[in-house]
Amino acid sequence: MANTRLGAEVDRPLLVAAILLALIGIAFVFSATANAVMEAKQGLYLKQFIWLGIALAGAAVTAIVPYRVYEGKLSYLLFGIGVILLVLTLFVGHVGLGAQRWLGWGQLKFQPSELAKVVTVLVLATILSDRKTDLTQVRSLFKPCLLAAIPMALVMKQPDLGTSVAFVTILLTMLFWAGLPPLYLFLLVTPIINVALSFFLPVWILFAAILALVLYRSRLRLVPILVVVAINLVVGIVTPQVWNHLEPYQRQRVTTFIDPNGDPYGAGYQIIQSKIAIGSGQVWGKGFMNGTQKGLAFLPEQHTDFIFSVVGEETGFLGSATVTLLYLTLILRGVRVAHRGRNRFGSLLAIGMTSIFLYHILVNICMTVGLAPVTGLPLPLLSYGGTSLLTSFLQVGLIQNVAMRWREY
Amino acid sequence: MRFDPIPVRGSTRRERILSWAVGLVFAFVLLRLFTMQVLQGTRYRELSEENRIRVEVLTAPRGEIRDRQGRLLADNIPSFTVTLDPFDPAYQGHPALLDSTVEHLGRILGGDPVELREKVKRERRRSFVPIRLMRNVDMKSVAYVSEHAATLPGVDVESEPLRRYPLGSMGSHLLGYVGEISDKELEDPRYADYLRGDLTGRMGVERQYEKVLRGVDGKRFVEVNALGRKAELLGDKRPILPKRGTDLTLTVDLALQRAAEEAFEPGARGAVVAIDPRNGDVLALASRPNYDPNELATGISFKRWKELSEGENHALFNRAIQAAYPPGSTLKPFVILCALAARAIEPGTTFRETCDGAFQFGSRPFRCWNPRGHGTLALRGAVAQSCDVYFYQLGIRLGLDRLSSFMKTLGLSQRSGIDLPQERRGLFPDPAWYDKRFGVGRWSRGLILNLAIGQGECSVTPVKLAQITAMIANGGMMWRPRLVREATREGAKISLEPAAADSLSHRLSLNARDLQRVQESMEAVIYDPHGTGGLAKVEGVRVAGKTGTAQNPHGDDHALFICYAPAEAPEIAIAVLVENAGHGGSEAAPVAQKVLHAYFHPAAAESARIAALKPAALAPAAPPRRG
Repeated sequence: MANTRLGAEVDRPLLVAAILLALIGIAFVFSATANAVMEAKQGLYLKQFIWLGIALAGAAVTAIVPYRVYEGKLSYLLFGIGVILLVLTLFVGHVGLGAQRWLGWGQLKFQPSELAKVVTVLVLATILSDRKTDLTQVRSLFKPCLLAAIPMALVMKQPDLGTSVAFVTILLTMLFWAGLPPLYLFLLVTPIINVALSFFLPVWILFAAILALVLYRSRLRLVPILVVVAINLVVGIVTPQVWNHLEPYQRQRVTTFIDPNGDPYGAGYQIIQSKIAIGSGQVWGKGFMNGTQKGLAFLPEQHTDFIFSVVGEETGFLGSATVTLLYLTLILRGVRVAHRGRNRFGSLLAIGMTSIFLYHILVNICMTVGLAPVTGLPLPLLSYGGTSLLTSFLQVGLIQNVAMRWREY
Repeated sequence: MRFDPIPVRGSTRRERILSWAVGLVFAFVLLRLFTMQVLQGTRYRELSEENRIRVEVLTAPRGEIRDRQGRLLADNIPSFTVTLDPFDPAYQGHPALLDSTVEHLGRILGGDPVELREKVKRERRRSFVPIRLMRNVDMKSVAYVSEHAATLPGVDVESEPLRRYPLGSMGSHLLGYVGEISDKELEDPRYADYLRGDLTGRMGVERQYEKVLRGVDGKRFVEVNALGRKAELLGDKRPILPKRGTDLTLTVDLALQRAAEEAFEPGARGAVVAIDPRNGDVLALASRPNYDPNELATGISFKRWKELSEGENHALFNRAIQAAYPPGSTLKPFVILCALAARAIEPGTTFRETCDGAFQFGSRPFRCWNPRGHGTLALRGAVAQSCDVYFYQLGIRLGLDRLSSFMKTLGLSQRSGIDLPQERRGLFPDPAWYDKRFGVGRWSRGLILNLAIGQGECSVTPVKLAQITAMIANGGMMWRPRLVREATREGAKISLEPAAADSLSHRLSLNARDLQRVQESMEAVIYDPHGTGGLAKVEGVRVAGKTGTAQNPHGDDHALFICYAPAEAPEIAIAVLVENAGHGGSEAAPVAQKVLHAYFHPAAAESARIAALKPAALAPAAPPRRG
């Protein structure tokens, strides 16, 4: 009885969107690899199909086990495991495309950073739903920031900048949702903006002026204001100094870190080919399996990172807009579930999971249309990749879990 | 029970903000898709079907190589390379057309159509970068290709720096050459940033310092339309200009290198290595016969390559570092050093058996090189006259254990560590080696007799011989021979793995008096009336040396000679080897003499050379291919 009542509360649009996207994904993994030169790639769509089965089973489990069990100690435990796996990756990980991102035994490989994002959401939801956490107090920001910084730093070390920025997005979204005053949110991101702008003096001065004005009108006490000003001044002055004193090879390392494929022969080429693929799809597309760009292997990562380009080429604006709208549905329903849930932990859990989706979807699609740098992030649900698909459905399951129990406090 | 009636305070407002923000961003993405696919779709469709975007690699010139005086040994000149893009739309579904284009090109450019077709077949499987079909193409062919662009789809002419060795074959083994990267290397992660058709250093300095000599290639995007015209794609990416590689200044002195190479008779096979005993600088390193690296830089036919590498003379083979020869009597000073260090002899020690041209060991006579015999000699005379009978008896007194362990401290079985690739190890066998080779106890004690005169199973490379000679000259310092004096990138000096260079140089703990005795005996080799090395005398300088004649089971004896000068304050140490030439004193010592002469009397040597200079001596770069 209870189960049927719970089942009625499942967010159907979200579930349908997720499954549709996964099926579309399998179809285009098939299309992208059907003519593959390497025979090893030809059976990938079947593998992905099996993964979908595993992922759906996983989603069922995460949806049925009441989400409240994760609150508190278990979330810390899971977070600890996630961190340990990340550390292990650094020492014994497989190197793929120049970074250590994989852990594995024999044939089985998985990417701990995928798991780390989910457990970070759990632990942040625990902290932010704690009644002792008062977000109007600056010092209460310390713990969530620190906890998010640990996996972020470890992933950055791999190095995988794209994924490490995901942790910032998760943290900021969840802080915002937990009720952090917008002023604090702004002050929190000022050092990051500062680093980026410190190389362009006029823009930096403008930014400093805005910051000063905001601080002046903030009615904050003197000490927090001084702290913010001090941090920003130090960051703003030190960054260019440090940069100028770096050896050329060290600078090179930093620039490759920010833009791993800064070489236009690599990434620029991929982006141009991706844009040509998507653009040439025009309104109706060239037809399923009829893409020409991929046929000549111009899209190297076409079944993983550049799957959206194949969709765009073969199904045109109609198809790419449909996929985009399915993703929009997924996100908006996720926000709605978070909004509807009465339990603070559950609500934060749902928004955190949704923010992971949001970040990956936007970064990947923007990359394929040339609006973002090549970061090597997969497109959730659509890209080939077992861990990615499984994690995505675990997230879907958790969001559904909150949706089904929205009445519970 | 109910802590929080409204679970997240103010969540309605935040939900609205977040939803609108998400909606806005997605609307922006949709707008972008709409612009690309609907508004600009025709343009992109054209790009994907008729026209092709290509990456054009702007090859970086390699760093220049100069001698220690700044004289140019290797630079770059502009050249044209004809490329073929096998993925041109014209060839999609028409493989026969591709074949006929290749054949057509072969006719124009004068290449072997079968070889070219093989090349295209091999390379198109690997990448989608246009294939560099033929390098160093002459202007006439360039003009032809440009005029007939319409009938030659996917064919293009690119400008590429061509490696040039302005002195032709001079220093060829030292410099090495460049050649196209091989399939095997492309799979090697160390060559991860290389593309098919890229040139890479082969042998010599070109290979050893490939990482620094190679510059950073630039890139640009070009759009090629059906008429073969190129338009740069502005807006998307600006071209990245290539950066020239690091320039190297070698320790080698061109005048000395030239003297070393020209000291050989035409057609002779051999090697010369000259080292500065004060710091290990390699002043000259020559191997004969040599080859013209310019010929190899443009890509040669398989047949010609086989001829160079496997032909009778093995011209590509660097005899100075890749070949180990029995040291013959040049080993004797080292044997003396061992005996003195072991206190087995005194300078005045003589042996029981006097030299009457042979030494009876068991039932077998061991001959001295001089059948008339030397009589009874002590250390100095035995070295000067190279008396084998003295050394047979010294060998027996020392025994294999002591001799082989001393040779081990000299590093005779090790590489010199010179900064050149493919250096071979020499060998000085010890009892364990013989046990392994012949079985425990199944080898004769008589082997020591041959080893003591540098024959038998021991062997050494000319560079190692020069290194040890330099050590004797400088009083015990074993320098790792080095070829690069200075490296500059964009006008600024840079350092090349300094730690490795120093770790291999070390001081041997040798008694100064022992060394002095050996040095004196080596001077006697040159100046003693009966000395074997008189032909190495140079006016105004005192030379110390040792001759060697190595028996060679495959043919005539190899002639060897080691020396250094000035004896009182050595500045140059030399090892000479001439294959199948005969006696070291008559065949190898004169070669060393010419190098010494060029070193100590540069002006006289230069004017003598200019007087003998024929106009053809300065070889230009390989002439462009003709159509």
